Amino acid sequence: MTGFIRDFMEKMMPQPGGIDCGGVMAQLYEYLDGELDDPATMEKIRVHLEKCRRCYPRYNFEKAFLHFVSDQGHASAPPELRRKIFQTLLEEEGPH
Amino acid sequence: MGEEASEKQKEFESEALVHLDTLYNVALRFTGNASDAEDLVQDTVTKAYRAWDKYEPGTNCRAWLVTIMRNTFINQFRRRSKQPSQVQFDAVEDTSVFEQVQDRDPEGSFFRFIVDDEVKQAIQELPEEFRIPVVLSDVEGLSYAEIAEILDLPVGTVKSRLFRGRRRLQQRLYEYAMEMGYIR
Repeated sequence: MTGFIRDFMEKMMPQPGGIDCGGVMAQLYEYLDGELDDPATMEKIRVHLEKCRRCYPRYNFEKAFLHFVSDQGHASAPPELRRKIFQTLLEEEGPH
Repeated sequence: MGEEASEKQKEFESEALVHLDTLYNVALRFTGNASDAEDLVQDTVTKAYRAWDKYEPGTNCRAWLVTIMRNTFINQFRRRSKQPSQVQFDAVEDTSVFEQVQDRDPEGSFFRFIVDDEVKQAIQELPEEFRIPVVLSDVEGLSYAEIAEILDLPVGTVKSRLFRGRRRLQQRLYEYAMEMGYIR
């Protein structure tokens, strides 16, 4: 199938999920963050992403970015700080 | 001093101190250095302990602690440094990195080559207005509503700061990946 016919057919097809690409992109972060309250909207976006070859790669890229940041950004409290904090709490309690 | 830890202490340890890593992580992002971060965590924990009777059991302890940290930071630490200026819109926020890499690396594989220190550095370079929402959301996994409450902002503002902060962070990491030759 040539690109022209494919583009034409895509134009003739209804928007996947009943939502257009602009609507999906505007809510992409909320979708990825699990912040959409309306289950119907979530489902529309899910279906759209599954079928849309323009939106899916964008979604996939943003998802990779967010996973990456959440994996890499952590720092653990140093043991010495932990020790100091327990000491502070003991001092806060004062003599009994 | 009693041999046994008091009830209050035990409760505080099991409900509040389990969030110590989060507190340290957020403190690092607020202050930008380990020594101030440790001071900020200590001050926050001490205040939280003194105010423990005001904490309602079963509510969101982590958000409660981070709120105390934010207030402590504003009142004590920020005086030492300049007030952050209002962040101007940067043209960098106009385009997504995806637009720039879609033909070469649409899956964002280049992210995987970027080392931890570089990511931390890139996060630290974000203006505070974006840095804190990004850390609370993307590193610590807090919800928009929790972040809005902690930062005393409308949820819509949190959303837009997250959007802008993520764009800036992506762009910075992309430029670094280009410099290092992880992406051509």
